Parts: sequence; structure tokens; C-alpha cells
Amino acid sequence: MQRCKTPHAVATFHCTADAMAVQAAAAGGCLPGRVIPVPSEISAGCGLAWSVPAEQRDALEQALEQRGLAYEAITEVDLY
Amino acid sequence: MEKLDCKGQACPLPVVNAKKALAGMGEGALEVLVDNKTAMHNLENLGKSLKIETASEERGEAEFAVTFTKGAQAAAEVCEECQPLVPAGSKVVVLSSEFMGAGDDELGVTLMKAFVFALTQQDELPAAILAYNGGVHLTVEGSPVLDDLKKLAEAGVEIFSCGTCLNHFGIADKLAVGEVTNMYVIVEKQLQAGVVVRP
Repeated sequence: MQRCKTPHAVATFHCTADAMAVQAAAAGGCLPGRVIPVPSEISAGCGLAWSVPAEQRDALEQALEQRGLAYEAITEVDLY
Repeated sequence: MEKLDCKGQACPLPVVNAKKALAGMGEGALEVLVDNKTAMHNLENLGKSLKIETASEERGEAEFAVTFTKGAQAAAEVCEECQPLVPAGSKVVVLSSEFMGAGDDELGVTLMKAFVFALTQQDELPAAILAYNGGVHLTVEGSPVLDDLKKLAEAGVEIFSCGTCLNHFGIADKLAVGEVTNMYVIVEKQLQAGVVVRP
């Protein structure tokens, strides 16, 4: 079975509550992506992040801005 | 410097072949050529996981070179005597609840989503996942981790859900990944496992 990593845009947050706020907003289906643990390529610390395939980066950024959802940064990482 | 031309090879062959070549060499450098960026990144990740110094170079649209420099310490780390005694693939993950940890259920659901996603990101996957008691809510339709469990099943991870538990919750007809099992298999798989992981 072949598994290949593909580029993803990963949004990080200042606190877990911000990540969970994004998760709650996404439950309505109007925000692309999913919750993941912060990839070790971005930070050695713990925490939650929000991931979308790289091609949806602009859509995610726009949705976060429009809804006033706070995030720290968006970084590109290869994920399975 | 040893050279390995993996251009034209489908993923994950470049990683498999590079790993094999590195295991068979002592101190020194190995240059691996691939024809796409994803393969280059996967080789860089291999270097990280083996703790071998790695340098990458983009030489054109369809040529990427990754050079591994194996030092004395790294050579010792991949030598046969130092391989773990537990064979690869003998790990079993037990999901006994739909929550990860106790204290706050909303956080517990989110942590479980993160845990199962992190499982999909491991280069070495567990041999099996056993779901019982509240854990069977994770293997049925509507589960927040269903897509990741399906990915793991596609990659060869066996997923078993306790039949008694599915019946208890009235969700036996909703099983969406893996197969129904019984207590004998649940016990057997854990006894045979080198490591049992419980989130």
C-alpha cells in the first residue's frame, strides 16, 4: 500500500481555545479543514492546529478573517 | 560518495531503497536522485527519523538530489545489534472510549481526533486497532475520526470492533470500518502485541 505526503496549509493558534473556536465554527460546514495536533515540523511544543490541503489555503485564510477567528500563522507542511 | 538513482520510481520506493542502502553502508555519504519534490521531502523526513545529516538540492524541474552523510554515531544507530527487539508492526492501539482522557468531554473528543490523525502520520503504523466499550462509537457512521480510521485500514491496519459493545449501544448496523470481533480476538491481539497503546 502506497502512502504519500502532500502539501497542506496548517494554521496555528495562540491557545487551545482559539483552535476549538475554529472547530466549532467549522461544524456548520462553512469553513474548510480539520483539527490536527501541531506538526513537529512547525513546533516542538504541544497544541492543536487546523489543516487544509495547500490549494485551499486562500479559502481558509479568507474564512478565518471573515469570521474574526484568531490564529497565529499559516505554514505549509507535507502530511499523509 | 555512493549514488542511488531513484528517478522514475513511484512513492514510496525511493524511501524504501534509500533506507536499504543506508542500512547496508558504514560511515560516508549517499546521494539519492529523485524526480519530484514530494519524494525529496520524504527522503528528508527519512534522514530526520534516522538522525542522519541530510542536504537537499534542486537541480532542475525533474531532478532533486538528497545527500545523506552518515557519521559513526548514526552508523551505530542503524546497525543490526541496535534494532529494537520488538518487530515492526506488532503494536496494537486500544480505543476504549470516544474521548481521550477525562476531565472535559469536548476537549476529549478533540484530543481523540488529534490522536487518530497523528496515528495516520506515523511511518510505522500499528498492526491493529481494537475498539471496545465507548470506543466503538469511533468506528461507526458519523464518527469524527472515521475518515482517518478508513485511511489506516487502507494502509493495512486491522480494525476490530467489539460485537457485544456494538450491540449494547444499538449501533451494530452502523459499523463503517473494519470488522466485528469477540473477546477472544481482543485478548489474543493484545497478548501477541509487542506494545499496546491506549490514548
